[in-house]
Amino acid sequence: MRVLAIDTSAGTSVAVVENNGGSVTVLGESSVDNAMKHAETIGSAIVDALAQAGLTGGVSTTGRVRGIDAVVVGRGPAPFTGLRVGIAAAVMFAEGLNLPLFGVVSHDAVALAEFERGLTLADGEELLVTSDARRSEVYWATYQGQNENGLPIRSAGPAVQKPADLDREFELAGRKLARASGQVKASSIAKIFFAQQASDCTDGDVSALYLRAPDAVPTAAKKVSG
Amino acid sequence: MVVHLNWLIREAREVDLAEIMKLEHACFGSDSWSENNMRAELVEHHTYYLVAEIDGQLVGYAGLSKLPSSEQSDIQTIAVAASQRGTGLGRELMHRLIARAKELGSKEMFLEVRADNPIAQKLYRKLGFVQISLRKNYYQPDGVDALIMRLDLERFEVPGIGQKQPIVLGIESSCDETGVGIVRGATLLANVISSSMDEHARFGGVVPEIAARAHLEALKPTLREALSQAGLSIDDVDAIAVTNGPGLGGALMVGVGAAKALAVATGKPIYAVNHLVGHVGVDVLERGVVETPTIALLVSGGHTSLLLVRDLLDDVELLGETIDDAAGEAFDKVARVLGLKYPGGPEIDRAAEGGDPKAIRFPRGLSLPKDMEKHRYDFSFSGLKTAVARHVELAESRGEAFSRADVAASFREAVVDVLVTKAVNACKDHGVPRLLLGGGVVANRRLREFAQEQCDKHGIELRIPALSLCTDNGAMIAALGAQLIMAGREPSSLDFSAVSTLPVTQVQSL
Repeated sequence: MRVLAIDTSAGTSVAVVENNGGSVTVLGESSVDNAMKHAETIGSAIVDALAQAGLTGGVSTTGRVRGIDAVVVGRGPAPFTGLRVGIAAAVMFAEGLNLPLFGVVSHDAVALAEFERGLTLADGEELLVTSDARRSEVYWATYQGQNENGLPIRSAGPAVQKPADLDREFELAGRKLARASGQVKASSIAKIFFAQQASDCTDGDVSALYLRAPDAVPTAAKKVSG
Repeated sequence: MVVHLNWLIREAREVDLAEIMKLEHACFGSDSWSENNMRAELVEHHTYYLVAEIDGQLVGYAGLSKLPSSEQSDIQTIAVAASQRGTGLGRELMHRLIARAKELGSKEMFLEVRADNPIAQKLYRKLGFVQISLRKNYYQPDGVDALIMRLDLERFEVPGIGQKQPIVLGIESSCDETGVGIVRGATLLANVISSSMDEHARFGGVVPEIAARAHLEALKPTLREALSQAGLSIDDVDAIAVTNGPGLGGALMVGVGAAKALAVATGKPIYAVNHLVGHVGVDVLERGVVETPTIALLVSGGHTSLLLVRDLLDDVELLGETIDDAAGEAFDKVARVLGLKYPGGPEIDRAAEGGDPKAIRFPRGLSLPKDMEKHRYDFSFSGLKTAVARHVELAESRGEAFSRADVAASFREAVVDVLVTKAVNACKDHGVPRLLLGGGVVANRRLREFAQEQCDKHGIELRIPALSLCTDNGAMIAALGAQLIMAGREPSSLDFSAVSTLPVTQVQSL
């Protein structure tokens, strides 16, 4: 099975990843770190990842894309604007080719990348993954190792909090933490999906994890006369 | 196509020279070519001239030039006798020259036309010519500019000679409406709008973050509904068009990201188009063409803009816009002052029922002589809103009763008066006999009424597309995309941005 994975929770990352009977290969990956230009870069990033995987002829968009079986997208959490670009793109890519669509918590992919890099947790230790939520807050989730299919086991989160408050809570609870805050790679998003598949827990929910209400409050009309 | 059997169109010969020169003088007067020049044209090997006769009398001629080494050809001249104008003879001559140019291996065709000859320009545009530049004072001694126009012979089949009408799917997400529309050429196939208006109601105005979130959720169902309405599958679509500005940044980005991925997945070309020009281009869906030049007054909750459109794809100029609130925003804000619901337009229309529009003379923004110098075509509504609020507060603080109907009617009259007066001024100042309205505020009955009155009074033709095409929608984006395709324009690259302040001069972003 071959999937197209997209994540725009931080930069823009697109990957084509194949799972051949449990052997997972990244066929193509295109990542741009810029956290501002999601709408500009998403189209070319998809073309680039597909081209690396040998699935389409470069930048010219000629003919339907063939050889993709499903689309997986990172749902964040992330500051709103860029996150939506990736989800919108994933929804439409799947719609255009009539493919199944799945969502993954982006922090799970960061945790997986840490474990793949060789992180081993001491007894009772957890992995804390954080990312910038702006407004002096962080998005976070904690993990207690991996299951038998390599899927990071999320023990708490995702949630949003001030880092000082978060630290205090963990300290009070006496939790031991390893910390990570890497970039989200789309190939890791795809790998999470394959691990979920093996664990029979894929998720068709692709709604964005904003974790905050929109910034708007109903206000009374202001007086204009003194 | 109507066949005029009474014309005989044949290749010109040198013996036709005398008759040709008679018509040349009758048509072009002081601009006429000399007899020697005309003879040279007729006998040259790289030229191709046709004449049209009725009962042996010469009623038209036209010629092209194509050098064997070149892949370009030029229309040298075309003339039609006064008695035959409007019969389609000009178009028929052009068709034959275009067909001949293609036979000769031309890939593109050029012509010059006087800037003060809108009838000829219209014919050329209908044939698919696109203005590529302007030569100042080209025609002497009159000092008239020349439009240089180009026809792409490779990509483009002449309309009426079996041109393919592209099926274009348009995506619009610049404000609070997720729109997906589908057109075939200038024919509307589907227009589906999903609005987040209700979610903004308790905030009294569009909240950008709420709008953007709603777009993300509405995309898929809106697309599916549009395809179903058109009875098409995505594979039937030839191209994708998308609004890339102006509008709310976060909202635009959703549509842009969606459109790019859809285009890549399905392998279809993508056209990034200007939202405001889309409001003008939508007129092709009702009339087949946007008659130009035209003034366009676009009024919505996000925009209040006055445009001078000399050519839909190549020459759109922003004459003026609001310097503070958009007209629709003013309606929303005043509705709150009057304790009415959101959106304010229809509420104020209802409240104004039976009210006296002359009861209170509210200020007309930027209409005083001193403002008119710098801001002749600009609008300002924030002072008006404050004036209404002050009027109401004053009455309330004095414990006086006031007529809500009078306030609503007088406020509405002030808005409508300024909008229409400035638009009519623009028509008169630029000698443009047409006014096109667009944007959601067009739903306002009084605006339509007053615009009609004033246009009738000043001999201006008023165009108001159906309301479903005036509010933000995907069909107008698809229609503009189709116009670009039929004019032979290249698709946009995949790297265009969502630009919240995109200028109207940028009709397509490459």
